[in-house]
Amino acid sequence: MVNAIKGVFISCDIPMAQYIINMNASVPASDKFIIHILDSTHMFVQPQVEQMIRSQIAKFREDNTYVKPN
Amino acid sequence: MPEVRIIAKNFMDMVASMPAMKLDKLYENGFICEAILRSLPPLGKKYVLQLLHIDVPVAAKLLEEWVLPDGYTKHRVAIDRLVQLRVFVEAVDRKNDKTYKLNPTFQKSLQQLLVHGGTLPREPMPSNITVRLPNLEDLEAYALQQWECFLLQLISSSLVEKPSNISSSLMKVFQRRLLSQRDKEAPKLTESGFQFLLMETNAQLWYIIREYISNSEERGVDAADLISFMLELSFHVIGEAYNINSLTDFQRSIIRDLADLGLVKLQQGRKESWFIPTKLATNLSVSLADSSSRKELINCDVYRVEYQLPNLIVGAITKESLYNAFENGITAEQIISFLQQNAHPRVADRTPTVPENVTDQIRLWESDLNRVEMTEAYYYDEFPSRVCKLVSEMYLKVHVTLPENGTVCYGKTRRKCTWWLRPGYIHTYESIYAAKSRSKMQRPYGMVHLHPANVLWKTRKQKFALSFAPWKGNRWKKQWGHTLGHYSLLV
Repeated sequence: MVNAIKGVFISCDIPMAQYIINMNASVPASDKFIIHILDSTHMFVQPQVEQMIRSQIAKFREDNTYVKPN
Repeated sequence: MPEVRIIAKNFMDMVASMPAMKLDKLYENGFICEAILRSLPPLGKKYVLQLLHIDVPVAAKLLEEWVLPDGYTKHRVAIDRLVQLRVFVEAVDRKNDKTYKLNPTFQKSLQQLLVHGGTLPREPMPSNITVRLPNLEDLEAYALQQWECFLLQLISSSLVEKPSNISSSLMKVFQRRLLSQRDKEAPKLTESGFQFLLMETNAQLWYIIREYISNSEERGVDAADLISFMLELSFHVIGEAYNINSLTDFQRSIIRDLADLGLVKLQQGRKESWFIPTKLATNLSVSLADSSSRKELINCDVYRVEYQLPNLIVGAITKESLYNAFENGITAEQIISFLQQNAHPRVADRTPTVPENVTDQIRLWESDLNRVEMTEAYYYDEFPSRVCKLVSEMYLKVHVTLPENGTVCYGKTRRKCTWWLRPGYIHTYESIYAAKSRSKMQRPYGMVHLHPANVLWKTRKQKFALSFAPWKGNRWKKQWGHTLGHYSLLV
C-alpha cells in the first residue's frame, strides 16, 4: 500500500547540505532526522527539526565570522 | 514575511473611488474641475475640451476615429480614466451603440471657469494689516519643521520636544498601519512603516492626507467638503495671507489640523488672523528636500553610528548592523535605494552613485541569511503495482511536494506512456489499456487526482487504486468505469 510521510523539504546549496548531513550523523540514533537524501542539494527531513536546523546554521555562521579585535 | 507595500496612490485615484453623488457635488466647484482636468492624461484633456460645448452624446466609434491605430491603447486608457472619474457619462443610444457625454455638472462648472476666469472665493489681505509676513524661505523652513515634527511624533512619541496639537486618536489612526504595538515593549516600526519612512516626502504627505480623509467620515466630517477645500487650497498663492474669516466654520476647524501638518501657517495680527499656505499645500506634486531627523531614525538600524556632529553623522555599515536591519524587515534593495536617493549632491553625479562593492556586499549579506529553504511536503512511496511504480519513480526523481503544488515534469517509459504531473493531477497514458488495444494509445488517457480530499479505497480485487478519468479533446472529463483498475493515494 502507498505510504505517505509528512515532513519538511529542504533545498539549499551543497555546503549547507553537507553540514546538515553531518549534523544528522553526529546526533544519537534515536534523534536522526533525515528521512531521505534526494540529491546533493535536496533532502527530506522530519518536521520538528526545522527550527533546530535554522538555529544551528545561524550559530555556524556566527562562528565563522571574524570580528576585528579593537 | 508578507510583502505589504504602501502604494502612494494619487489623490485622483481617491477622488475616483468616491460614490457618484458625492462626485457630482464635488464637481460643482470650479477649482476641483480644473484640478481634475490637469490630472488627466493628455488625450483625456483633449477629449474633455473637445466635448466641452457639445450637449448631445457622441458615439464612441467617432471618438475612436480621432486616433490612429498606434495610439489605441492610449485612447483606451484615457477613456477608462474619464469614465472612472465620472467625467464622461456612458450611455447606450437607440442603435445600441455606446456613446459618451460630459458629466453635466462638470461641464457647467468648467464652462463657467473658462468664461469667467478662476477667482478664489477670497482675496489676499492688504499688506498694511499683515505685518510680520514671513518670506518664502522662512515659510518653507516652517513647513519642513512642522512636517518633521509630525513625522517624529508619529513614529515615536517620546522623541518629540514640542508635541503638536493633533489629537491622539487621530495620531492613532495614522499610526495604525505603521507601527506594531506589543504589550510591554514600546511601539515598534513595522515593515510597512519602514517603507513609509523611505518614501519621499510627497508620497508620505499623500498617505497621511488619504488616511485623514478616509478617517474623516468616521468623525462626522464630510469627505467631499474636505477634498474640495484641499483642492481649493492648492490654488492659493504661496506666501500670501488670507483672512481666516473668509473660511466657513468647517474649514476653520480643518485649518488647525493642516497647520499642525505644516500645510498652512497661522498668524495673528491685532484684529484679524490669517493663514498662509505653504509650499506643501500648493505644489502637491513636488517633493521637498529631506531633512536629517528622519535619517536618524533609519541610521540606528542600518549603520553603526560612529560620530555625530550638528550637521553631520558618520556611520559604518557593518555586518552586524545589517543583520539587525534585516531582522527588522528592511530589505537590501530598500537600503540601496535609500542610499541612492539621499546621496549628497556631489556624490550623486558619480555613476554609480553607490559603489558596486557596497551594493554587492549588502546583497551578499542578505542572501547569506537565506541559504536554506524549507517547505512542508509529503513523501509517497511503495506504490502497489508496476504502473504506479513508474509514477513514484517520476515523483522521486524530481520533487517531493504537496499535491496541490505539484510540478510539471514528464518522462517516457518503455511502454510509450507519457506521464506528467500537474498541480493536483497526474496525466498518464493508460498503460493498463495498452493490453486492450495498443494502436489506440496515442493520447494521454488517464488522470490521477491527488487532491487531499481523496481517500484511500480498495477495489474489488483488494488493490489500492489511483482514480482515472479519460481525456476528451482538450478537457479532462471525469468519467469512472472505463478502467481496469482504480488507484488512489492517501494524502
